Parts: sequence; structure tokens; C-alpha cells
Amino acid sequence: MKIIHTADWQIGMRAESAGKMAERVREERLAAAQRVVQAARDHGAEMLLLAGDVFEDNAVDRLLVRKAGEILRRFPGPVYIIPGNHDPLSPGSVWEHPVWAEAGNITVCTRSEPIELETCVLFPCPLREKYSTKDPTSWINGRAAAKPAIGLAHGNVEGIPSGEPDYPIPRDTANRRGLDYLALGHWHSLARYEDPNGECRMAYSGTHETTGFGERDSGNAILVEITRRGGPPALTSIRTGGLDWRTVEHSVAQPCTLESLVQQLAEIAQPESTLVRMRLDGMLFPEDRGALRRLEELLATRFLFGALEAEGLKPAPDGEGWIESLPAGTFQDAARKLRALASQPSGTDQQATASQALLQLFDLHERSRE
Amino acid sequence: MILHNLRVTHWRSLLQPTEVGPFVEGLNVIHAPNGTGKSSLFEAMRRALFDAHLVTGKEIEAVRPWGRSLAPQVMVEFSQGCVRYRIEKVFLDSPSARLSRLEDGEFVPLADGRNADSELREILAARDTPGRGLSKQEHWGLAQVLWAPQGALSLSFVSSSVSENLRAALGVQLTGESGTRLEELLEEQYLSLFTRSGKPRAGKDAAPILAMESQLAEMAMERHELLAQQQSFEEAAGAVEDARQRRAQARREADALREPLGQTRKLAESFQRLQSDLQQKRQTEQTAKERHESIGRTIELIADARREAAGLKAQIERDEALLGELAAELKTASARADERRRQREEARSRRASLSQRTAEVEDARAFLADTKARQALAARLEKLQQLQTGFTAERQSRAVLVAPDDRAIRDVRKHLAARGKAEAALQASLIRLTVRPHRAATATRKSPEETRAISAGEAATFAGSPEVSIEIEGFGSIHAAGPEMDVDALRGEMAEADRKLAKLTQPYGTQDPDRLQLVRDQAKELDQKIEVLERQIGELLGDDTTEELQGDLAELDARILERTGRFPAWKDQPPALSVLQSALEEQRKAIETAVVQAEDAFDEAQAGAQGVEKRHTETAAALKGARLALEAADRRRSDFTRDGLSDHDRQTARQEASMAWEAARAQAEECKRKLEEIGDDPQKSLDKMELQLRALEAAEAAARDDEKKAEGRLQSLAAAGAYSKLSACEERLADLTGRIRREKLRMDALRLLHDTVASCKAAAVAAVAAPVERTASRMLERVAGPRLGPVRLTGEFVPAGIEPKALGEAVELDNLSGGEQEQLFLITRLALGQVLAQNERQLVVLDDVLNATDTGRLARLLTLLEESAGALQIVILTCHPERYRALEAAAFFNLQP
Repeated sequence: MKIIHTADWQIGMRAESAGKMAERVREERLAAAQRVVQAARDHGAEMLLLAGDVFEDNAVDRLLVRKAGEILRRFPGPVYIIPGNHDPLSPGSVWEHPVWAEAGNITVCTRSEPIELETCVLFPCPLREKYSTKDPTSWINGRAAAKPAIGLAHGNVEGIPSGEPDYPIPRDTANRRGLDYLALGHWHSLARYEDPNGECRMAYSGTHETTGFGERDSGNAILVEITRRGGPPALTSIRTGGLDWRTVEHSVAQPCTLESLVQQLAEIAQPESTLVRMRLDGMLFPEDRGALRRLEELLATRFLFGALEAEGLKPAPDGEGWIESLPAGTFQDAARKLRALASQPSGTDQQATASQALLQLFDLHERSRE
Repeated sequence: MILHNLRVTHWRSLLQPTEVGPFVEGLNVIHAPNGTGKSSLFEAMRRALFDAHLVTGKEIEAVRPWGRSLAPQVMVEFSQGCVRYRIEKVFLDSPSARLSRLEDGEFVPLADGRNADSELREILAARDTPGRGLSKQEHWGLAQVLWAPQGALSLSFVSSSVSENLRAALGVQLTGESGTRLEELLEEQYLSLFTRSGKPRAGKDAAPILAMESQLAEMAMERHELLAQQQSFEEAAGAVEDARQRRAQARREADALREPLGQTRKLAESFQRLQSDLQQKRQTEQTAKERHESIGRTIELIADARREAAGLKAQIERDEALLGELAAELKTASARADERRRQREEARSRRASLSQRTAEVEDARAFLADTKARQALAARLEKLQQLQTGFTAERQSRAVLVAPDDRAIRDVRKHLAARGKAEAALQASLIRLTVRPHRAATATRKSPEETRAISAGEAATFAGSPEVSIEIEGFGSIHAAGPEMDVDALRGEMAEADRKLAKLTQPYGTQDPDRLQLVRDQAKELDQKIEVLERQIGELLGDDTTEELQGDLAELDARILERTGRFPAWKDQPPALSVLQSALEEQRKAIETAVVQAEDAFDEAQAGAQGVEKRHTETAAALKGARLALEAADRRRSDFTRDGLSDHDRQTARQEASMAWEAARAQAEECKRKLEEIGDDPQKSLDKMELQLRALEAAEAAARDDEKKAEGRLQSLAAAGAYSKLSACEERLADLTGRIRREKLRMDALRLLHDTVASCKAAAVAAVAAPVERTASRMLERVAGPRLGPVRLTGEFVPAGIEPKALGEAVELDNLSGGEQEQLFLITRLALGQVLAQNERQLVVLDDVLNATDTGRLARLLTLLEESAGALQIVILTCHPERYRALEAAAFFNLQP
């Protein structure tokens, strides 16, 4: 049997880091959902399992709920969903929306009890509140199942660094509970957990569409193939994400290195679906000021979203040429004072302000010579 | 700027065209007496260079020559930046302006009208335009420092535009041409975001950050509301969940309660039934018990009545015997008490004799007291009589003694003295004629007639007035006369004195004052004696009178006489009071002892009789009571036995009742045991459980209502999609916050850049000001010596004071003399002029200055002017050309025709 395991769609999530493109980012999550369904169809999956957090919050716009329901409704096979900690099964939750009842193929699992299916037994673990220290899989006993036993849960696999235990799930839950596969949700990066035999019986599919900068190995779903009860499941990652979230961090130590970054940005394919966050620190050399401006321009114009964080750049200490290029007297004196302020340890407001002031001075100087 | 020529027409006192020039590039002195138009010349030049030709108003009207309708005209030729210009202006009537430039040796028009005005200001770098009125110093560009109008040499106040002009002039040297452009850009950039005071621009061209911050505040409000909406959604979800939990819990509890409630209800029914049975059994038991006790009580009562009757009979017999004995005893005791009463009365009767003896003692005490009082009173009366006798005698003596008082004696002495004086005067006024005949003769005086026989050798004196005439027999008459005197008046005085003396002394029989004084002393002595006696009598009488005392004496005598009548022995021998009292006491003691004994004996006998009488009464009463009780006991016994049963029958009936009672009690105990097995009344528990059930059902219903309400609210909030709105809001907020942060960074950076450049420039300006200070200080030292010390300028290039070395601290200008102040201001202007003239020679105009400077310092100042003329063109306007004759290189211009 083939199953598509997906989770953490986080439909309706806020995307503060995307600036004005936040709405576009939100829309892309629905588009990615369509890609998941399409991938399931393409790979001949019999069943679609959503391991929680389909929605960012129970108070999301009901239109989004309708849209998500309609997307899943298009899948020809059954769809099983468990509420996660973001959209727990509580009064007023998204799961009370009529779209779930209207869609005949969708089952929102509201009880922690086995569901006997034609080809397998499903052990869903719906969450009813946002936080709990209880293992949501603790009730599962799949050893007696004659058919493949598949768990569907949402929580933190033990070992993942987090604060207080929040829906803790033991690393050996699949074996301990007699499951052939445990489909997990909660963490946004794809993660597999192999047992001592090297067989992977539990995994996080990660979010189907990357939610922000710095997220590793996200934007996927998992195709799970189980041939028989007890047999090793075959897991295949399927790319479903549509947006490319890139973080470029560069520390400038030598002159003329920013130009390579300009080149790097220019070479990024599909910039219209790429979000770039560039962080620069180190030294700002006089000869790099032009490149810095081009970087700003590229980030502002070429990509779906671009942000340049260059406050960490300090004027190069040996860049006397900067100052000597200014009119002698007052302006050179002022530039030296500003450079001294800008050379303070990074992170202080005064340092960033002084650096910016220097850049403004040189911009004005260039304009004065035009 | 260099001035070449100046022509003025129709300007105040300069009615005719007046042209001065050409000026040399060094020193120029324009001189003329007062009122000939030197200052008007300077004024015309300023108006030509800095005022619009179209200017109107009172000030420019005042320029017109007085009493004439002439238009003021002026022409100035000058060089600026090595270019020679000519400006010609006509004010007021048909005003005009023309600016010409010297090109190929000829002045070619460059601009006219308003263009000429503005072009000229541009050439002179006088950027501040005066507006509609006349120009003031702040509109003169650098000339405001270099030109000193009459009476305005001081630099105590400099407008901001002056200092800005100076800075602008010095700024060229600080930053160069490219720096100026950069500075302008920086200023332009800065002023696009900030006001000059450093605040973000507001209003029409407000800094973008203000709009952003306003937007941020609005969005923060929106976020706050959406967050509240989101929280309301979660709270509503919680409320629904809570209501569901409450409803489920109430239902579970109600279900759990229903089974024990049924059991309790059955138990309560059993309990009530058993309680009813127990009540009936207890009633039966009680009835049996009462019957048993009733029969037993009847048996006991019959027995009691019988025993009581027997006892009462025996008691009646005893009381009857006792009553007889007590009657006899009572008779004996009564007789004894009567005897004792009689004896007591007898003893008491002896007290009468005691009162008689007591009266005798009282009489004796009174007799003795009266006797003593009489003796004292008699002695007092005797003494009184003596005093009154003496008093009467003295009064009689005093009555017969007629004595003058002191005043009368003084009057007698006065009249005697008057009389003596009058007599002496009379004697002195008489003519004395003494005759001593050899032989006896008879001398006869006619008036007053007097005949006197005179023996031989005897002297006979005749006195008279105013003449004495005697006739001596045988001899003749002798007439003696003297000065005429008023003898009659003297005689009258003597007669008057005699009359008064006679009147005064008539009662006393003598006119001798000494005798009169003796009589007066005797009378005084008698008066004193009478007074002493009168006082003694008064003291002896006190408040009494002699008659009262005599009345008292008579009363005492009567009382004594009355007692001696009753007790004759007291006439001879007064009674001994103590003896009488002792006897009285002894008698009283004996009588009282006898009375007490008799009373005690009577009381004892009386008590005995009363005790017997009481016992007798009591015994009689007891007997009566016993008889009544016996009758009652007999009646009771007959009542109890009226049923006709025998004692045996009654015992049998009692046993039967006892058995019935025991049976009923056993049945009740059984019933009670069953109740105790149940315990407390289950009805209470049942009531509570039913109440609890109803409460749970009500709670379930209430929770259901709450749930419905909360669900309705929740659905409404869920439909609002609060989270999505909140997300969108927070995204916009984050974007705006980022933009604000970047904008703020940009503004802070621009402000920092601006302030840093400004501070560096200020430091540079200060550095430039330092050489000016040094130059001025050197000049001042050369003029006034080292005493005043270095000159200190403000940041606005205004002299602030000096620092005398002797003081070591700054001294304000006010402390300098008027001459030193004008020297300091002139020196400062020259020093600033030298700085400004580094690139181009500058014109310095000094209108009527140095009037307070002494000759020595003036000479040194002239030397400085000569030296300064190497870089500056100096024009001096004065009415004292001789003061400047030492300026050898100077060109002198005399305005006087």
C-alpha cells in the first residue's frame, strides 16, 4: 500500500519575515497543498495522512478552511487528519467547519481509537489542547493487528531539544506500540527515525511548504510504501514546496568580495519565487560601496522578497582613501570621528548609526561631485 | 570690494551733485566741517549698494532735500572680484537702477531695474534682502563688519545673519569649493528631515518617520483590538469546553446519585413504618404500665391510710395528756410573772427620790454660781460708782473754769502787740516839756487842764500834741510846739486794740496772755482727766448700762434669796457641790442596780410563762390537726376500698397487669431494635439526595444553556477569522517597524553626520577665530600697551572682553574706558577685515570714529591704519582732517566747495 504522509501545512500562518509578500507566502501554502494532493495522485497513493497542524490556528479565516477542505476533497482516496497543537480539537476549532462533513473522503479523527480499514489499521492520536506533557501515542496497542498498523501522531520525539516536555513521543514508539509506521507531525524539517535494525518506521514529513528563513529540509511530503504487516516501509521524499527561502550570510574580510555576492544573487534561478535574506558583517571597503548598492537594488527588485541586513558592516580601518577623497578640513575631520564611532563593537546602536552616517557622507560627497 | 568713485545728488544737505573720487586702494580721508554731508555721502553709498531703488516710506523720504521735490540720486563705482562696476540709482520720483560693468574701458549696462538690485546684491554676497523697507546692517553682507557708520563703531551686537555671513566667508577657507557644495547638500538633506533646532520636520513637508510612527500607532491599536478578539475566541472556546465539562460532570453525578437515592427511599419507607409500629407498641406498653402502677399505688395508699390512722390515734392520746400538764404549768408561771412585775415597778418607783436629790445639786450649783456672779457684779458697780463720782467732780471743775482757747490767746497777744505798737507811736509823737524849777512851783496846763505842783529841783514832764502849753505860776507860761502828728489816729488804734482786747478777755478777767495761757493749760488737763474717766466708765460698762447692771444685781439677789429660803443652811454655809454630787451618784447607782435586777427577774418569769403558753397552744393545735388527719385518713381508706375488693384480689390484679406490661415492652423493644439497625432517619438523607439530584439536574441544564450561548459566541468569533486578521496586521506591523527602524537609522545617521560636521566646523571656526584674536590682541597691545592683555572674541566674532595679565581672568568691555572701547572695536574690525581680505582687498569705511582717543594712541592707531591699508581700502570720514594728516599715503578729499 502507498500512503502520502504530510503535516504542518500551517495554513493561514503569519509570515512577518516576508514583509509585504506575506500574503503571497500564505497563498503559496495552499498551492503547495494542491501539489501534495497532486503528488499523491501522481504516485498512486491510496491514502493521505495529515499528521496535525493543517492550520496555523483555530481562529484562521473560515475561507481558508473551506479552501483547504476543497483541495483535500479532490483527492480520490481517503484522507485522515488529526488535529495538532496549533489546531487542537477544541470547541470552535476549524474541525467544526461543515467542509469536513461535506467531503466524503475526509475523516477528521476525533478519538484516540483504532480505525479498521480495508488494508490497514489506523491508530490516530488527535490533540485536544495546545500543550500537554502526555504521550499522545500511549494508548496505542498495534501488536494484535493483523493488517499493517499505522500510527498518526503529533508531538515532540524525545531527544529533540525543546523546553518542557510537550506531547513527548518516545523514539521507539513504532516498535513499542507494534506499529509498522508512525506518521509524525510538529517539526517542519523532514526527519527519519531508524530502529536498531536500520529500518525507518517513524518520521516527520516536515512542512509541505517552507515557513521561513533558516528552515532546514522543509517543503516536502513522504511517500510511504508498506508491502506487508511487519515489513520495512519504504520512505520517499517528494518535493512539494514552491518557494525558495534563502539566507545568505557573508562576512567581508577583503575588498571587492561583495561583487561575488552580486553575481551569486544574479545567478539564482526563479527569483520570482525566491525569498532572500542577506546578512553582511565584517569590513566595508570604499571599493565595495558600489557593490553594496547593487546588492540592495538586486534584493529589492529581482526577488519575490529580499532583505539586506548590513548594519554589521564597519568601515575598514585602513581605508584612509575614503576620508582622503573628501574635501579637506571639516568633512575629513567629521569622517574620522564617525569612523571611530563606527569601529566600536558591532551591535551597538551608535556603531550602526555611525556606519550609516559615513555611508551617507560618501553618498553626498559623490553627489556633490556630479 | 574696492570703492572708486561716488557721486551723490539731491541727498539731504547735498543738494548739488557731489562727486568724490577717485579713491586710492589704500587710505582715503574725506573731510568737511559738520553739516556738510559726509555721513550723507556714506549713507547714499549704502543705499545705492544694498537698497532696492523702488523702496518707499518715511525713511527714504527723509533723504530728499528738505523743502524740495527732488529725487535723490547716487552713483557708485566699485570693483568686486577684479571686475569694475557702476551702479546708478534714483529713488522716490521716477525711481531707477542701472548696473553697468566696465568692459573694454567703457561701462556697459549689465542690468537695470529690479534685476540691477538683485544682481548687485549677488555680486556683493549680500544674500539677505531687506524686503520692502530700507536695508539694515544685517543686510549689508560683510560690510556690516567692515563699515562703521557714524556713532556705530561698536560691535556689541551682531545679528545672526552677520555671523552666518562671516562663517560663510570663513567656510570657504575651511572646506573649499567642493566642501561648500557638499555642505549645501548635507544641509539640504538635513533640512528635508529636521528643523534647524533638530526636531523632525512636521507639517506639509514632514519627515516620513512621523507619518510612519502615526501609522504604527494606528496599527498597534488595530493589533491590540485583534489580539483581544483572538483572546476572546480562545476564551469562548474555553467557556464552551468548561460548560461541556460542567454539563457532563453534572450528568455523571446525577446518574451516580439516582441508584442510592432509590435505595434510600425504600429504607426511609421501612423506617417510617417501624417508627409507627414502635409508637403503637410504646402506647400499649404505657397503658399496661399505668394499670400496673395504678393497682400498686391503690394497694399502697390503702396501707398508708391504715398506718396513718393508727399513728394519729396514738398521737391524739399523747397530746391530750400533755395538754393537761401544760395548762397547770401555765397557771404557775403566770403567777410568778405577776410577782416579778410588781417587784420591778417597785424598784422603778425609787427613781423619783433620785430626781429630788438631783434638783438639789442643781440648785446648789446655781446658788454658788449666782453668789459668785453677784460678788463680781457688786464690785463692778462699786468701781463704776467711784469713776462716775470722779467724773462728775472733774466735770464740775471744768465747768467753772472759763479758759480761752489757743486762738483766743493768739488774738490777745496780737491785739496787745498792736496796742503797744500804737502806744509807742503815740508816745513818740507827743511834745515833751520837762520843767525842773529851782524852787517849788505850780504848773498849770490848760489843755487838757492839769495842775501839777513841782518841788524844787524836781522834774515835771508834760506831754502833748501838737503843742504843750503850761503856765507856771510865778514864772509865766511856757509853750512848746513840735511838728504836727496824727496823734488822734494813734489813739484810735490804741482804743480799737483796747476794745478788741476787752471783748476777748472779758470772760477771763485778765488781759495777761500768760495768765490766760495758764488757765488754758488747766482746762486742758481737766479735759484729759474727764476723757480718761469717761473711757474707763465705758470700758467697765461694755455694752451694759448702769441700770442694767443694777437690774442684774437685783435679780441675782432675788435668786439667792429664793434658794436660801429653800435651803436656810446655805445662808451661813454655802453648799459643798462635790459632796452633794457624790451622794447623788451613789444613790442613783443603787437604785439602777435594783431596777435592772427586778427587770431581769420579770423578763425571765415572763419568758417562762410565755413558753409554757406557746407549748400549750401548739399542743392544742397539733391535737386538732391529728384529729382532722385521722378523719382524712379514714376517708381515704374508705374511698380506696369502695370497689369492694379484698387485699388479695388486688394483689392478683396487680400481677396480671405486670405480665401485660412486660409483654408490651418486649414487642416495643423488638421494634426499636429494628429501627436501630436502620440507624438515623433515612428521610433526611433522602431529602438531601433529592435536593442534590435536583441541583445537579439544574446545573446540567444551566451548563447546557451556557454551552449553547458560548457556542453561539464562539461560532460568531470563529467566523470572524481573528487569527488571520491578526496575522495580516502583525505582518504589516513588522514591515512597518522594520521600515521605521531603517528610517530612524537613516535619520539618526544624518543627524549624527550633520552634528559631527557642525561640531568639526565649529571647532574649525574657533580655530580661525583664534588668529583673529591674536591679530586684534597684537594691535591692541601696540596701541594701548600690554596692560589690557589679549582680546577675546565670541563665536560670533564679537569682542567679548579682554584678559589683563595682571588679573588672570576676563574683563568685560563695560569696564574699559570709552576711548579704549572704540579702539578695541576699530582694531577688531581691522583684524576681521584682514582675514576677509586674504583673497580680495576689502573696503573699510570709518565714519567719524576715534573721537574719544587721545593723541598718543591716535598716532599709534594711524600707524595701524597705514599697515592695514596694505590689504584693505580704508575710507575715513571726519571733520578733523588735521588728526589724520600724519597719514602720508592717504588721499584727502575736501567736501567743502
